[in-house]
Amino acid sequence: MRRANAQIACGLAFAGNPQHRVQPAAKPKTVAAMPERIPLLKARLLVENGDHVKIGTPLYEDKENTDIVFASPGAGKIKKIVYGPRRVIREIVIQLDDEETAETFTPYPPKELLRLSPGALKEILLKGGVWPVIRDIVYRKVADPAQTPAAVWMATDNQDPFHPPAETWLSSPEDRRFFQTGRQALEILCSRVFFCRCTDFPPLDPEIEKIVTHRISGGYPREDPAVIHYHSKTGPDQNLAWFVSGQDVRLLGEFLESGRFPVRRTVAVSGIPVEGRYVQTRIGTPLDTLAEPGKANGHRWVVGGLFRGYSSVPESHLSLYETALGLIEESGRRELLGFMRPGYNKPTCSRTFLSVFNPSPLPVDADMHGSKRACVNCGNCTRACPVQILPQFTYKCILAGEIEEALSHGMLDCVECGLCSYVCPSKIELCRTFQETKQAYFRQRI
Amino acid sequence: MGWIEKKLRKVFDAPRKHFESGGRLEKLSPLFEAIEDVFFFPAGATKSSPMVRDSLDLKRFMSFVLVALIPPLLFGIFNTGYQSRLAADMSTALLPAFATGLTIVLPIIVVSYTVGLFWELLFAAIRKHPISEGFLVTGLLFPLTLPPTIPLWQVAAGITFGVVIGKEVFGGTGRNLFNPALTARAFVFFAYPAQMSGNSVWVAVQQKAAGSVDAVTGATPLAVTELQAPFNSIAEMLTDQGYTFSTLFFGNYPGSIGGTSAFCCTIGALLLILLGIASYRTVLGTIIGLLATGFLLNWLATPQSPPWFSVSPFYHLAAGGFAFGAAYMATDPVTAPGTDSAKWIYGFFIGALTVLIRVVNPAFPEGVMLAILFMNMFSPLLEYTEIRLRFKKRIPHV
Repeated sequence: MRRANAQIACGLAFAGNPQHRVQPAAKPKTVAAMPERIPLLKARLLVENGDHVKIGTPLYEDKENTDIVFASPGAGKIKKIVYGPRRVIREIVIQLDDEETAETFTPYPPKELLRLSPGALKEILLKGGVWPVIRDIVYRKVADPAQTPAAVWMATDNQDPFHPPAETWLSSPEDRRFFQTGRQALEILCSRVFFCRCTDFPPLDPEIEKIVTHRISGGYPREDPAVIHYHSKTGPDQNLAWFVSGQDVRLLGEFLESGRFPVRRTVAVSGIPVEGRYVQTRIGTPLDTLAEPGKANGHRWVVGGLFRGYSSVPESHLSLYETALGLIEESGRRELLGFMRPGYNKPTCSRTFLSVFNPSPLPVDADMHGSKRACVNCGNCTRACPVQILPQFTYKCILAGEIEEALSHGMLDCVECGLCSYVCPSKIELCRTFQETKQAYFRQRI
Repeated sequence: MGWIEKKLRKVFDAPRKHFESGGRLEKLSPLFEAIEDVFFFPAGATKSSPMVRDSLDLKRFMSFVLVALIPPLLFGIFNTGYQSRLAADMSTALLPAFATGLTIVLPIIVVSYTVGLFWELLFAAIRKHPISEGFLVTGLLFPLTLPPTIPLWQVAAGITFGVVIGKEVFGGTGRNLFNPALTARAFVFFAYPAQMSGNSVWVAVQQKAAGSVDAVTGATPLAVTELQAPFNSIAEMLTDQGYTFSTLFFGNYPGSIGGTSAFCCTIGALLLILLGIASYRTVLGTIIGLLATGFLLNWLATPQSPPWFSVSPFYHLAAGGFAFGAAYMATDPVTAPGTDSAKWIYGFFIGALTVLIRVVNPAFPEGVMLAILFMNMFSPLLEYTEIRLRFKKRIPHV
């Protein structure tokens, strides 16, 4: 495989890294499904307020492909359905029963699994509502079951600060068995299943290490499946690929072996105001069960990593794909003579602060650190881009309405890592522009 | 520090209502914001992912260019005073020379900033956009390229042309095609050749008693060519005139305010490259282009060719405004190409054209300004070509 060579080696050592210990969380009173957070999904509700659902009951489906349904992460009564602007379904909140029941499907232990045809397996995964954990590498949306991908990537490590490392959710022999079953299922769907791991992460069980196909080094976002796929594909026929995050591979395996929709999630809770730790909780848990809301006044709640994640509020819930909650300061304080401070503890990818000599993790906050200006063509975004796009030029193409030109710049290769927006001294929302343009392009294409 | 901050906060909070929309001074709000932002760093929360942003902003980015300009600025002030006192037969000690230099240079800089700020503010108020930090750099770069004898009204006319025609008509900082400071200088150069041609030395002589400023004439190092030098003797001729290589390198000779000292410009260029503000590709490209062309001309030189054909290329490196141009003007990210290979080519041709204009064109003893402006025009083409070539390596999606 080719070497990924982003030129900016961002010293992204952020303070607030969780301590390495896993705690089980108390059972929450509610859980929620969050259709708004599934990229490019137009959801149609399959339940109403007051309905009683089991774990694994379909809650909503994809309007464009009604085969794709999304399973309920809890059993109980639908307490409320929260809508956002333009009637987007934000949350389907379920008041949990004391004794939860689950929908049961036919279990497929590994032996029987291997006898399944790809079509039959797809059917099982779609029916069980676990198909959405398989995602498209280009648009990062739910994979289209009608397509045949060139490769399926499994990624256990996520360096977007801060995600739980594999050993926190892959520690017991049972976990590893589920993981292997999940991998076998993916191998039925596609003959080329790849498994990438970071060399900087501690090795896992030898049985797991044996199936690793790609090893990469370097910081975020070098470990992202889309980045590795970009650097290993050899032709246009390989553009279509899928990826499954590590915890979801385990989830697939547990679903197939047990015949029930599994809801376990190991979540990293990080940030300076909270005691950073890894919590064993469940899909759709309320965020205030992960961190004390009172302690975190004046802080931004970021669900997902600090780069890819989105802002949320303590009353909200954990969405299907996310396994991290980060709290970062949001003070809005205007620093006196801020732009001429030596900045020994200001995080930056540039060499313009004394923090280049500071090896310790630096505190981060949810501040723009400057106001918006026109692009001065400094090229920091180009140096940061992990997939060799020239963001400053691609961005100008998009603004000029030259979508064809933007496409030939490689806009669809964009992995939405957010580094271009991060490094931009003019504070231009490059990543958001690419994301929105990719999504608009996808919607118009079909 | 705490109470200073509180006091300052009050200074800005009290008049704020006048600058807000509907206030009496609403039109001046870009100026108010710009000044407030200098003292209180703007704090806006991130709205979309990534939720964290780099601490570097354009204000700091541009401020470092000002920091890098300190060596040529300080030396320029000293040298201006030194040459002036030398011509007037006064003591040339460090402090008096510096003080004399200050009285000559400071008005030029003040006029450049004031008039430039006026235009910047006018456009910001009409277009309703914030004042860009790029202006701080332009406002200082321009005076440093001027001779100390320049009349102040020409400074005003020049910076007006540079800011308005060189930058604002294109849409402001980031959208301009030509370096605004060089556009301003080119305007003055062509509009008022008597003061700017570069054929005669610029020494602002301060009369002992009256304190009035007058000029003396002589030949600048690059204009020594007009003295009909015999073949292979430019170096000796320069030395005869007092322009040894080390004088040229350290810049202790009459010339434009900031451009004489290649040494100070080297310090500035190294600082900019070290901080990652300027691209080493452009700077090295200019030096390689200059040396390569210089050696080529040496090789082509015959007794019939113009005398500068045979001068050592290292004289080109040290003489005139080349170092200043290569360090501060060619590296301006807005007008230089944004792609890596294009930067090498852009730099190379700046160096090559500088030598060609100096040596071959008898009308212009100095060529770096024209070379940079010329390559500014070509930088979009260079970028475009490199982007096309990069496309070929990509695996297409559609």
